[in-house]
Amino acid sequence: MNTVAPLNADQQDALQELLNISMGQAANSLAHLIETKIGISIPKIASVTPEQLFSIIAEESGAFYTRQSFLGDVQGEVMSVISQQGLSEVGALLEYDEPLSKNDVEEIILELSNILAGACLAGLAEQLELKTNLNMPTLFSPKRANFVELQWLNSLVMEVQFDIELSSFSMRVVFCLDDSSLNVLTETIDELLG
Amino acid sequence: MFSQLVEKLPVGICVVNQDYEIHFLNDFFLDRMSSHWRNEYKGCQLADVFPEQVKFLKRRIKSVFVLRHPSFSYWEQRPHIFPFKSSRPITGEEMQMFQNMEIVPLTASDGERLACLILQDVTAQASYFIAQQDFSSALTREHEEQLKLIKKLDSAQSQLIQAEKMASTGQLAAGIAHEINNPIGFVSANLDTLKQYSFHLIQLCDALAEKLQTGSGELADFATETLNSYHYELLKEDMAPLVDESTEGLSRVRDIVENLKQFALEESGGWQLVNIHETAEQLIQLISAQYKTPVYKVQCEPENLQIFCDPGGMKQALTNIVMNAAQSIETKGFVKIDIKAGTQWVKIKIIDSGSGISQDNLKKVFDPFFTTKPEGMGQGLGLSVAYTAIEKHKGKISASSNPGRGTVFEIIVPLHAAEQQSAAC
Repeated sequence: MNTVAPLNADQQDALQELLNISMGQAANSLAHLIETKIGISIPKIASVTPEQLFSIIAEESGAFYTRQSFLGDVQGEVMSVISQQGLSEVGALLEYDEPLSKNDVEEIILELSNILAGACLAGLAEQLELKTNLNMPTLFSPKRANFVELQWLNSLVMEVQFDIELSSFSMRVVFCLDDSSLNVLTETIDELLG
Repeated sequence: MFSQLVEKLPVGICVVNQDYEIHFLNDFFLDRMSSHWRNEYKGCQLADVFPEQVKFLKRRIKSVFVLRHPSFSYWEQRPHIFPFKSSRPITGEEMQMFQNMEIVPLTASDGERLACLILQDVTAQASYFIAQQDFSSALTREHEEQLKLIKKLDSAQSQLIQAEKMASTGQLAAGIAHEINNPIGFVSANLDTLKQYSFHLIQLCDALAEKLQTGSGELADFATETLNSYHYELLKEDMAPLVDESTEGLSRVRDIVENLKQFALEESGGWQLVNIHETAEQLIQLISAQYKTPVYKVQCEPENLQIFCDPGGMKQALTNIVMNAAQSIETKGFVKIDIKAGTQWVKIKIIDSGSGISQDNLKKVFDPFFTTKPEGMGQGLGLSVAYTAIEKHKGKISASSNPGRGTVFEIIVPLHAAEQQSAAC
């Protein structure tokens, strides 16, 4: 990943710390909801081009993808990459009956994305004292060709991975901010840094 | 005013507390529920009012309370959360309402934490979307069928070209055969006369030599010397067999030409009775003239079996298969045509002891343009043409092979009476 051009070292450290706290809270919420242990990776922050974003998101195989926009003081999209492996165990934790139908699987994926993305975003917004609301997630399949055609040049992305200890399930959540939100974010961080 | 507004909203509103007790239902819900609930729902348990949905609803409401974040449900994954009918029970299509649901966290003025279910009727969008999807899948299906048809057409066109080529080759061969017949006629007649003349000439020479050699010394010497210098004894000995061999050769040429004529000319007559035994014999003679290595054999039971078929197509099918069989034999081996008539079917087997076909290739032998011959040696249409021809006879063709040991092609065609077949065509 690139170094984060739009943020200086202090801003990046502060954001990293905020992310660590909010992602930890998200993992706790999920753990509480499904009554199992959740592991999280150290959140990564980077500035990326559309093609780099595609490389971050796209898995070789065996993954589901969702996207969800958020509006408010900061705006952007959050994309979730969910492993196909271990999904039935997670379904059981969410009290779905076996065997899972295609609709069940899709509903679980959307619900998981919503829970994790929502928890992460709520945590971050709370830390930064910003208001933002997440819209409903939808399923999608990322294609390199579509990403290459995107109009923006660089975007700030924040990525974190969640693992459920009981199964081989894992999920990555990637936040992307638009340009104006990046300014709001840096200004807010600067205020916090005083 | 706000409570009136919420009651009349065109979306369903249902508010529950953390104990899953219902605080509020707006008209959207109440209008669609049994009328007794209108005055009784307040304070009731969610499980009593919506027993069928309670498991799913509780799960979602719990996540809203725990995470303090909205939860969503879509018609695509869960089309009918509540068993509500879509509008227009009299004039419209009465169908189940497609619903999107959002559950959002609320806090009451007294600080109590609540969850609000917002239910949206998306039947129109869903119906449109489903119709579009059906339409799209119908289009995809049609497209696939068209692709298959185009492929079939392509193959039919190539087969047609091949068949036309074969037909024109046949006509050409018949024309040449006819032209060859004339010179064969006079060469043959001349050869007969030449044979007679040579016999007379030898007798003449013998008589003269005998007369001279019994006479005076000088003439006798001259006769002996002259006979020797022209190798008379050798000439005499060789001449008769030479002429005989030429006559025999000529008769073979005549046979081949005759076969060729018969084989090529009968094609234009449409469906007719064909002596399949004779056809097989003729075919073998023609092919053996070109491919001399294999030993050929024809067996037909009963002999001189007549079948009602399209002679052109049938002959082409047999020619292509037998030709392949003959080509598969490199040093020595046999090609056999075995014809057996049942009560309703004729089974024609073409058996060879040639190089055989691998299992992988065996699946593809009837595909157009499939060939294992070197480039320029074959177009890969022969067996595909045979397949189509046998299909037109409402028959079946199959191949089995043992690489290195040989191949058997089996053709089974229905043995119909002439009238039935012409009705079927």
